[in-house]
Amino acid sequence: MMSETGIHPSSYRDPSGFVFRSGNTMYRQVNPVYRDHYDHLMQSGLYEKLTQKKWLIPHTETDGQSLGAKDYYKILLPQQIPFISFPYEWTFPMLQDAALRTLKVMRISLDHDMILKDATPYNIQWLDNRMQLIDTLSFEKYEENKPWIAYRQFCECFLSPLLLMHYSKQPLQAMMLAYPEGIPLEIARSMLPWRSRFSLYTWMHIHLHAKYAGKHKGENEQRAHISKKKLLALVDSLQSLIKSLKPGIRQSTWGAYYEEASTREGYFAAKNDIITNWVNKQEGIHTATDFGANDGHFSRIVAAKGIHTIAMDADVLAISSLYEQLKKEKEVSIQPLLSDLSNPAPAIGVNNQERDSLITRIANRDLGLALALIHHLCIGRNIPFTALAGFFASSCRKLIIEFVPVNDPKSQQLLLNKKNIYGWYHAEGFEKAFSRYFRILDKTQVTGTERVLYLMERAS
Amino acid sequence: MHHLLYIDPGSGSYLVQVLVGAALGVVMFFKNIKMYILSLFRRTPKKDDDE
Repeated sequence: MMSETGIHPSSYRDPSGFVFRSGNTMYRQVNPVYRDHYDHLMQSGLYEKLTQKKWLIPHTETDGQSLGAKDYYKILLPQQIPFISFPYEWTFPMLQDAALRTLKVMRISLDHDMILKDATPYNIQWLDNRMQLIDTLSFEKYEENKPWIAYRQFCECFLSPLLLMHYSKQPLQAMMLAYPEGIPLEIARSMLPWRSRFSLYTWMHIHLHAKYAGKHKGENEQRAHISKKKLLALVDSLQSLIKSLKPGIRQSTWGAYYEEASTREGYFAAKNDIITNWVNKQEGIHTATDFGANDGHFSRIVAAKGIHTIAMDADVLAISSLYEQLKKEKEVSIQPLLSDLSNPAPAIGVNNQERDSLITRIANRDLGLALALIHHLCIGRNIPFTALAGFFASSCRKLIIEFVPVNDPKSQQLLLNKKNIYGWYHAEGFEKAFSRYFRILDKTQVTGTERVLYLMERAS
Repeated sequence: MHHLLYIDPGSGSYLVQVLVGAALGVVMFFKNIKMYILSLFRRTPKKDDDE
C-alpha cells in the first residue's frame, strides 16, 4: 500500500532516505544528510563486493528530476523485487539464513570501515535464490571504538525467535507477527528454559543483555568503548550461536506426501500430465501462486516456464525442505512461503499500512494452482465454497483447481473423527460457487480417481 | 553523526557489548590455543559454508 506521495508507509524511520513508487517501479531516495555514508559505500569497494556475492540488492543511480523528487542527494533504481515476504512467513532455516546474511554483511562492512546501523529481517528478502539485504541505506561509516547500535535490534529480531524455536522445538512464527520490532529480550529470557543459561553465548546475548537493558542510562552509556577486534568477536559469537541452532520439528503429515501420493496407481502421473499440458497452453502468464504447494513439485512445472511462482504451504517441514533445495539452485524463480490459507498474515504496523496483508500482496497474479487443497479448507476448516471462490478470484486471473470429492479416501480421513455436516460439499455446489467469479474453460477427471481438475478464468 | 541514530540502541545495550566483548576476549584466547593444537593434527582447515 502506498501513500499519496508514493512514499512507502514503512519507510518513515530512517532520515537517510526512503523508498517510493513511481508508476509500477520502486525507487529509493538518498537524502543529502546521508551523502558521506553513501559515497563511502560506493567508493570503498563494499558495494561492489556485496553485490557481486549477491548479498546486497544492486541498483543504478537515476535521474530524480524527471520523477519529481525533491531535496535528494541521489535517486536509486534498485533491482525490482517481485514479491515481498515477511519473517512470520518464513520457516526456521529462512530466518536463520537471514540472520547469518546480516552478520556476514556486517563483517565485510567492518573490513571496509562501515557498520550496519540497523539489523532487522524486514531488510532481508529472498531474491535470486539468496537471502539478500535490500536496504542500501543500512550502512554508516564506522567510528573507532563505538559499540554496535543495532546489537539489541539484532538480538530481538533474529536471536530471540530463533532461540525460542530452537528450545521449544515449535514453529513460533506467530510471535514475530505479534512483535514486529523483535521479541523483547525480557520476554525471550522469561520464555527460554533455565538450561539455556548453560549456553555461554545465549547467556551473554539474551540473559545478560536483558538484565542490563533498560537499567543503565546516561553518561556511562555514551562513554562505552569496544574495539573493532572485540566487535568482530561479538559478531562471530552471534554467528556461531545461530549456526548451532536447529528447528527440531519432527516429521509432519505432509513431509512425505508426494512419495505416498506417487504410489497411488497412475494418479500422480495423470495429474502431472494434465497440469503440464494446461500450463504450457496458457499465454501471458508472468506470475503465479501455488496454494498448498507442499514440496513444490507443481510450482516447479510453472516456474520452469520463467514464471515467478510463490510456493505457499502451511506445513513447516514442506516449506523448509523446499527452501533448502531452492538454495542450491540458481535459476528457479520460486518464493517459498509459510502461510495458512485459513489465516493469512494480516496488515500490521503503523496505521496497519507498514506491512501489507498477504491477501494484498498476492492479489491479481496471473495463475493460481490449488491442487489437493480444497477438501482441507472445506472439510478440515469448514470454509464454504463461496468464501474460497471469492478469495481465489481476488488472487488470480486463471486458476487450476482440483476438486476432491467427499468419498475420496483423503476426504474420508478428514471425516474420521468428525460428524459429516458437509451436505453442501459436492461438485455441483463447487461449480456453482466458482461460476460466480470464474468461467470454467476445461475440466477433466484424473485417471483412477473421482477427483476432477478444473481450468478456470476469472470472468471480467 | 548523531542525526543518523534513528534506532534506539536500548539503554544498557552498549554496556553489555563492552562486557561481552571483554568476556569474548578471554574465550577467544583459549579457543585460539585449542584451534592451534587441533591444527597440528588436521590437514585442511574447515571451509566456511556458502559462496
